Amino acid sequence: MFFYNNKFYKPDSILKKLLKIDWFLLFLVLILCIIGIGALYSAGDGNLNPWAINHIYKIILGFLIIFILSQFNINFIMNFSVVLYVFCILCLVYVIYFGVGDVKRWINLKYFFFQPSELAKISIILLLAKFFTYYPNNSKNFLYNIFAIFLVLIPGFLIVNQPDLGTGSMLILLGFAIIFVNGLSWNIISSIALVSLISLPIIWQNLLEYQKYRILVFLNPELDTLGKGYQIMQSKIAIGSGGIFGKGFLTGSQSRLDFLPEKHTDFVFTLVSEEMGFIGSMLVLILYFIINIILIREFLKEENVTNKILIFGVSFLIFLYIFFNVGMVTGLIPVVGAPLPFISNGGTSLITIFIGLGVIQSIRVSRNV
Amino acid sequence: MKNLNLKKDIERRFFLLSSLKGISFGVLSWRLFDLQVIENKKYDKLSKNNQFNFSLVIPERGEIYDRKGRVLAANRDAFSLYIKSSQNLNLNKILDKLLLVTNLNEEDLDNFKNRYKNLKKNNLNVFITDNLSQRDISKIAVRLHEFPEVNFLMTKKRVYPQGKITSHLIGYTGKLTEQDLKKNKNLINFSNLRIGKYGLEKFFDNKLRGEFGRRREEVNAKGKILTSNLYEKPNPGKNLKLSIDLNIQSYALTRLQNLNSKISKFNEPETGSVVVMNVNTGELACCVSSPNFNPNIFTRGIKSKEWKSLINNKKAPLLNRAVSGLYPPGSTIKMAVALAALESGVIGYDTKFFCNGVKEYGDMKFHCWQKYGHGNINLSQAIERSCDVFFYELGLKVGIEKIGLMLKKLGLDANINLELNELRKGLVPSKKWKLDVKGSKWTPGETINASIGQGYMLSNPIELVTMVARIANSELSVEPTLLSGKTKKFTKLDINKNHINYIKNSMSNVVNSELGTAYKSKLQIKNFKMAGKTGTVQVVRISEDEREKGIIKNKDREWEKRDHALFVGYAPLEKPKYSICVIVEHGGSGSTIAAPIAKDVMEKLLV
Repeated sequence: MFFYNNKFYKPDSILKKLLKIDWFLLFLVLILCIIGIGALYSAGDGNLNPWAINHIYKIILGFLIIFILSQFNINFIMNFSVVLYVFCILCLVYVIYFGVGDVKRWINLKYFFFQPSELAKISIILLLAKFFTYYPNNSKNFLYNIFAIFLVLIPGFLIVNQPDLGTGSMLILLGFAIIFVNGLSWNIISSIALVSLISLPIIWQNLLEYQKYRILVFLNPELDTLGKGYQIMQSKIAIGSGGIFGKGFLTGSQSRLDFLPEKHTDFVFTLVSEEMGFIGSMLVLILYFIINIILIREFLKEENVTNKILIFGVSFLIFLYIFFNVGMVTGLIPVVGAPLPFISNGGTSLITIFIGLGVIQSIRVSRNV
Repeated sequence: MKNLNLKKDIERRFFLLSSLKGISFGVLSWRLFDLQVIENKKYDKLSKNNQFNFSLVIPERGEIYDRKGRVLAANRDAFSLYIKSSQNLNLNKILDKLLLVTNLNEEDLDNFKNRYKNLKKNNLNVFITDNLSQRDISKIAVRLHEFPEVNFLMTKKRVYPQGKITSHLIGYTGKLTEQDLKKNKNLINFSNLRIGKYGLEKFFDNKLRGEFGRRREEVNAKGKILTSNLYEKPNPGKNLKLSIDLNIQSYALTRLQNLNSKISKFNEPETGSVVVMNVNTGELACCVSSPNFNPNIFTRGIKSKEWKSLINNKKAPLLNRAVSGLYPPGSTIKMAVALAALESGVIGYDTKFFCNGVKEYGDMKFHCWQKYGHGNINLSQAIERSCDVFFYELGLKVGIEKIGLMLKKLGLDANINLELNELRKGLVPSKKWKLDVKGSKWTPGETINASIGQGYMLSNPIELVTMVARIANSELSVEPTLLSGKTKKFTKLDINKNHINYIKNSMSNVVNSELGTAYKSKLQIKNFKMAGKTGTVQVVRISEDEREKGIIKNKDREWEKRDHALFVGYAPLEKPKYSICVIVEHGGSGSTIAAPIAKDVMEKLLV
């Protein structure tokens, strides 16, 4: 097999590999997961059903994924990058015709709904890392970069067309960030910026009414306090009314009385803020911040450029989730629909993040120190 | 080497993005701090506003009883219809559907639509009407499942069991209007609140209304009420106990309205007023005004047709004649003129004047009601027979100022603190008044007119009954009140006792002496005697021509041109208890029309 080709390579035992995993990182993740379970328990009016119990299953599955991926050498995992990418593209095309949900984002897999757009985020990290490994020295080459950008834009536009502006723009931002880190020349960056600035009106025209509306309402929430602005307003009320110490576990009036929309998914942070106050919401933010610091350290430790890109990609993905979500619920950015890692009861997105962490553990374990 | 450069480049760019991340975390933290710490109060308020709906709870209105505890105004259970407001409610569709099931008053509907339009919050119960018959209620109740937005609430409805009998006294309540709110800043704007609009309901509105309570409802985003509890209890309004005796009130009213119709060729009830007052306490035993109205129609919501017929009725049934009907008092004030004369010492008990039926003053002639005159008579006889010429002379001797002072002392054109907003002061003219209002000098001819209560002079029945009560009481300036058991200190009357006794004796002769103008109306019960004074008030001036042709008899004149019939009096003679004032508008002569009513009412009172 592949990893026996190198005669200097001595495979570690499973136990040894597990010991190499960053347990502190997993511990922080676990704390966030437990906060998530608590929040979903509260969102279910003090019931494990329906969300908290579901969350527990997904967390167990997520940790299993980390452990399993950590057993594989990162080079082995990278072999699947192209396959995964193609698979994601096919799925994204498939949902156009056979997707479920009113905006056709999901594939019904009988036991759960699979959202290919989430998986596409991981696949774009893997694919770009792979691409830059094969052509490492061409970062100043225009065509080379345009090709990479196209690799990002294909799934990006498929997702935006679903329509899912939030996930799509997040994926495109993620891809661009990776291309940028890989050394995209400033000339290209400025020309792209120019092109997009010119094309902005065209994009605006091609946006669907509800997407335009969301942006307009974001710019001026007063526009419609009972429609789309309602979500932002109610979310801000919930967060703001939480105060420093919060209204207490299970006693958030905004969430309990259903003033919070989607309190178990995209607006779960609001629930935490309302019931746990500024202290609770800052605790969550600080945990995320520490996780990011850990990933930065991981990045700096890593010598291999491919792996560096992978680590950056995953850490930036996690950051984007957090920024989009918290920014959205606090009214800083439009309501775009982004789950909060480890806490929201989002199916595929949670698994996506765990896969990302698994990839990083695989890098860590594969490292010969 | 290249690889190393690339790595450095990647790391540089990585740091760039990492610092961007750091800044983002900073921004998010600041945002949270801003929302949760700095702006906490604002959002906390908004959150509570989301969570709770406060609604006012109307206190139960105080009830009104007569002096023996009989109910004059009470509250009955009723149902009110409400619609729960929500964001996308097809109001017209629901109302159309509702109208198929039941009848709704158009005015109520319009008011409701206005209220609905001006709502500031959703998920509130918006009041439609409480004018539902038992049948309407059951019709809607059966089909309530078809109207998920519609619901009932138990409310109280004002009822007046005595209806017309106490209509002017009790008054009625009505819906709170914008004008009410402007006038009274203390009122709470509450759609379903009824406030007193007339009579005692108006005068004692604050006392009767009580204080609002508050109900707090926890509501979820869909408007479902999760918990509901009384946050602040309402304070029920205070009950009123009146001095009115329902039996007397009802008897006096019937007597006034019906018995005289044997004489009158009209079948309509007589218009006028009967007021009875306790001369020691000032408590009013009855206070009748006719014609009257049914106050209950205001509770169920008066129809514009009914309102118009009340307003346009020439006899003004809404007018409380007992307190706001102003009449020339006529001969009923002769006692006051006599007292003014005695007090000022211009005449003695034996001073006589000669009455030949007419008094000439300058080129004017002032007639006595007795065409052929009363001859040479003294004061007592003049009162007994109501000689006008005697009082013309007397008036000229005393002067208008002293007559005015005495009248005011006895309660005419004085500030009487009766518990009714409708009270209208009478008018006792004076030289100053003439100059101020009419812009000309007072003439002796006007004094002559004033001394028999004609001319400018006006008074209402309450003032007249007060005047008699003060004379009967002899010591205190009693004031009328509608409340029972209200102990009030009256000021001293300060009139020579002998003079008053002389006047009282003369008043007794009016009823009990064969020559008295009200002899036919002396009491027919043992041990009780009444004293009084009749009055017949000219409404139109009779010219000398007409007088020579012979005066047209009262009942042959148009109703509006007939004389007012007045009688004031008190009983029993020895220990006066009640004073009475009867006015029958355009009824004819005081002795034949008003005095018999007074007699019957007094008998009813004393037996």
